[in-house]
Amino acid sequence: MRNTNVWKAAAAATVLLLAVGCGSGGSGGGGDDRGGGFRAPDVPMKKTLGKGEGQVNIIAWAGYAEDGSNDPNTDWVHPFEKQTGCKVNTKVAGTSDEMVSLMKTGQYDTVSASGDATLRLIASGDAAPVNTKLVPNYKDIFAGLKKQPFNSVDGQMYGIPHGRGANLLMYRTDKVKPAPDSWRAVFEDAPKHAGKVTAYDSPIYIADAALYLMKTEPQLGIKNPYALDQKQLDAAVALLKKQHGNIGEYWSDYQKEVTAFKGGDSVIGTTWQVIANLTKAEKAPVKAVLPKEGATGWSDTWMVAAKAEHPNCAYKWLDWIVSPKVNAQVAEYFGEAPANAEACKETADPKHCATYHADDESYYKRVHFWTTPVKQCLDGRTNVQCTDYAQWTRAWTEIKG
Amino acid sequence: MPAGTSRTGARLRLAALLTPPLLWLGLAYLGSLAVLLLSAFWTTDSFTSDVVHIWNTDNFRTLLTDPVYRTITLRTLGVAVAVTLIDALLALPMAFFMARVASGRWRRALFVAVLMPLWAGYLVKAYAWRVMLGEHGLVNAVLAPLGLTGPGYGLPAAVLVLAYLWLPYMILPVFAALERLPTPHLEASADLGAGAWRTLRLVVLPAVRPALLAGSVFTFSLSLGDYLTVQIVGGRTQLLGNVIASQVTLDLPLAAALSAVPVVLVVCYLAAVRRAGALDSL
Amino acid sequence: MAEDKTPGTRPAPPATAVRLTALTKDFGTVRAVDHAELAIQEGEFFSLLGPSGSGKSTLLRLIAGFERPTSGRVELAGRDVTALPPHRRDVHTVFQDYALFPHMTVEQNVGYALRVAGVRKDERRARAREALATVRLEDYGARRPAQLSGGQRQRVALARALVDRPGLLLLDEPLGALDLKLRQEMQTELKQIQRTTGITFLLVTHDQEEALTMSDRLAVLDGGRIAQTGPPQEIYDRPATAFVAGFVGVTNLVRGAAAQRLTGRPGTYSIRPERIRITPLDEWDRAGTGSPGERSVTGRITDIAHAGPHTRFRVRLDEGGDRLTVLRLNTSGSALPARADTPVRLAWDADDAYPVPS
Repeated sequence: MRNTNVWKAAAAATVLLLAVGCGSGGSGGGGDDRGGGFRAPDVPMKKTLGKGEGQVNIIAWAGYAEDGSNDPNTDWVHPFEKQTGCKVNTKVAGTSDEMVSLMKTGQYDTVSASGDATLRLIASGDAAPVNTKLVPNYKDIFAGLKKQPFNSVDGQMYGIPHGRGANLLMYRTDKVKPAPDSWRAVFEDAPKHAGKVTAYDSPIYIADAALYLMKTEPQLGIKNPYALDQKQLDAAVALLKKQHGNIGEYWSDYQKEVTAFKGGDSVIGTTWQVIANLTKAEKAPVKAVLPKEGATGWSDTWMVAAKAEHPNCAYKWLDWIVSPKVNAQVAEYFGEAPANAEACKETADPKHCATYHADDESYYKRVHFWTTPVKQCLDGRTNVQCTDYAQWTRAWTEIKG
Repeated sequence: MPAGTSRTGARLRLAALLTPPLLWLGLAYLGSLAVLLLSAFWTTDSFTSDVVHIWNTDNFRTLLTDPVYRTITLRTLGVAVAVTLIDALLALPMAFFMARVASGRWRRALFVAVLMPLWAGYLVKAYAWRVMLGEHGLVNAVLAPLGLTGPGYGLPAAVLVLAYLWLPYMILPVFAALERLPTPHLEASADLGAGAWRTLRLVVLPAVRPALLAGSVFTFSLSLGDYLTVQIVGGRTQLLGNVIASQVTLDLPLAAALSAVPVVLVVCYLAAVRRAGALDSL
Repeated sequence: MAEDKTPGTRPAPPATAVRLTALTKDFGTVRAVDHAELAIQEGEFFSLLGPSGSGKSTLLRLIAGFERPTSGRVELAGRDVTALPPHRRDVHTVFQDYALFPHMTVEQNVGYALRVAGVRKDERRARAREALATVRLEDYGARRPAQLSGGQRQRVALARALVDRPGLLLLDEPLGALDLKLRQEMQTELKQIQRTTGITFLLVTHDQEEALTMSDRLAVLDGGRIAQTGPPQEIYDRPATAFVAGFVGVTNLVRGAAAQRLTGRPGTYSIRPERIRITPLDEWDRAGTGSPGERSVTGRITDIAHAGPHTRFRVRLDEGGDRLTVLRLNTSGSALPARADTPVRLAWDADDAYPVPS
């Protein structure tokens, strides 16, 4: 009796799976028909600043909210807490997808979103417009970062620019010779280090392959690594599938990459400057370079959650993190260009802003900031439909097999 | 009369005692499973990753038509079966030694040794293995003199670490079954002319079979659902668990549909095991 | 060693089925078996009798091979098997709680030894049925042990041990778990089977009546030592030690001053209660004196117990106050005016006071 019941349940579940598998024709999801003008949901903007709520919950990239636990001399969280009375609770996220997902929980007040997360957060109504009048340091932000497509809608800022930088190629100097200067090292030349190549574990990494194809296979006609039609996406996927055979492991947790390079389990792959710094601090012989093809990169924006429980402390944090001194500290620690022009005077290395081309817009033409791919091609093509992030996501699962 | 009232009282007490756990089982436990299955029929806004409440079966269609999910499902199934077999092969001699050979102090020490991994945190153990399996880790250091290298990070490492993690769940039921096995049964077998192997096959294995199957329910279903171990030591390997984990942030409905796969697999496995009569001893 | 069990190829039967030489087994500091010497003849029904803790079960386990001796030697059918494991010995055991395999049918249980020996399936089944027929369970082959009664399980265990006709069958308190009536039936049946098969039986029991009625010969164990070996009558009539005298049957053991008074000699003597004649004093006086070679004493009855076929008297002797037990068969027309405090005279042949080493 009981026996047959269990079988019935299993059979029912199987039939259910089969039935739904055979049913339903097309009728895609809700996001497919996103086309023309981007419209932000109506989320109220903060008008005045009140007293701090005593704490603030932030989502940050590794290295953006240092409290001295990684390096005793690197601490801009405790001074903030002392000055504002807002206790900082930091959640480090490894990917933009994770940030978007965390923001949806409604438990966080502010996030250091990259360009591939900002618009998604605005569109979903999870991020609120930011009243730049309540952020005194906003006035010193480089003009080139203000009111950009990835941080504003119709001239309304949705966050405070934080800084920008490029994804770099890191390698073990003792294992990889000669020193690489091209992303070729992780694509065509990956078999030289089979099983010890690493790559960023996110669908957005497809853009790295697209960028490489943009330079090496011009006949594909890629103009923007985030605007790929189906043929171009297929080419990038094919390249990444070939790479997959030589990958040791993918990383999205920065500590995982540090230990992998330190232990020699990874010897070459994509990285951030801050990870290279941390790995060097662990006495591992590594170097990070910007390859000749250029790179993907990020331009980050601190956004405030629409349902922030601690908006006053969040605004205080926004102003604090882009204040000249702190912005300089973060920029040097993370290895990126600061957003605040005044920060360039505060860096320990006086040439930091020059090295990272802080206000050199022409330089950043070579760096392709993370952007969410959508159906409407971002490179302006109208004769084809581009692949959107959902397709990239599926492709990423397929690449990893 | 007094008998009647005391019986009503007993019933009330029983009801009061059983209601909270039944509520927990019904609402919190099965309810969450139902919600999960339900959300598999919704869809996601591909841009904002918001769940859109439009009823459709695309997610399940994707699962069944996209070859990558079939590959991943088969790979996960293979891992679960491999882990279960390895654990069974390791647990039998270990449990036999503990239950029937070791005496007193030895047995207690072994028992503690088997249970100790259960006291340490799961992540601690997985990361310890990550360190051991690394390029300059203990495994390679031990194998180097033999001219061998360890598996590194990858599928074999994931199987190895999962087998390590779930081994106690196999040893304990097998140990209990072997301890219950009457010594005269072993003696009778030897007495009737059977050597050690024959006794193992004809008398011991049938006696511990239900326990092996019960233990395999743990190792099999725990392996099917695991995602952290493969993330930590699995290298580039994708199993159902970590595909679900990565889809949760991007596409919750697809993740929900994916998680129905291990549920169906486990239900089928339980049914098969139930048929073999192993659940009677659970 | 399978060929040993096939009767056709067995070498000419040696006279001795079991020979133990200076066999000793220590468990830690406890000596369970102490220099046991024993020779059991082929085809004999032999019993090891002793109270619990006397080492009889250990002795059996040493013969079966479940225990290795500390020193000494075990020979089966003239071959030294001391170092051989149980499955290499031509011996089967009927265990005290039967040890039937619960996951096998009765027929599979019975056929186990044949299966292990590589006998083909159809022959195995035929021989298993045959063995089950010997114990009158031919219709029970398809059942599981759990579906049988205690007596039936016992018989299945017997069939399992007999199926390939071992050179020696060991029975470890096989009837201990059965009720009295069933036990008596099984005693008869066991004896019968032993006679028809001709297999040497070695029975371990603590029940002296069982040992006396069933055995051709028996050995009495006392604290790990074999106190006496011999046919039942001899053990009963001429116990080698006070322990044997007391353990096998009921007896009056007299020693020291009492012995001097009752036998006129020093030492320890056993006088079986049924060898003492009890006569009321007045009747004795009417009959005159006793026969020559007969000893007699006077006393008073203190206790009377009627036990069906016989009556047991306790008598307190006038001289010295010693107490003796007397058994008197209740034959027809021989009723004794039996009341407590009746003065009586007890008499026995001098030979019936059997001297035992103390």
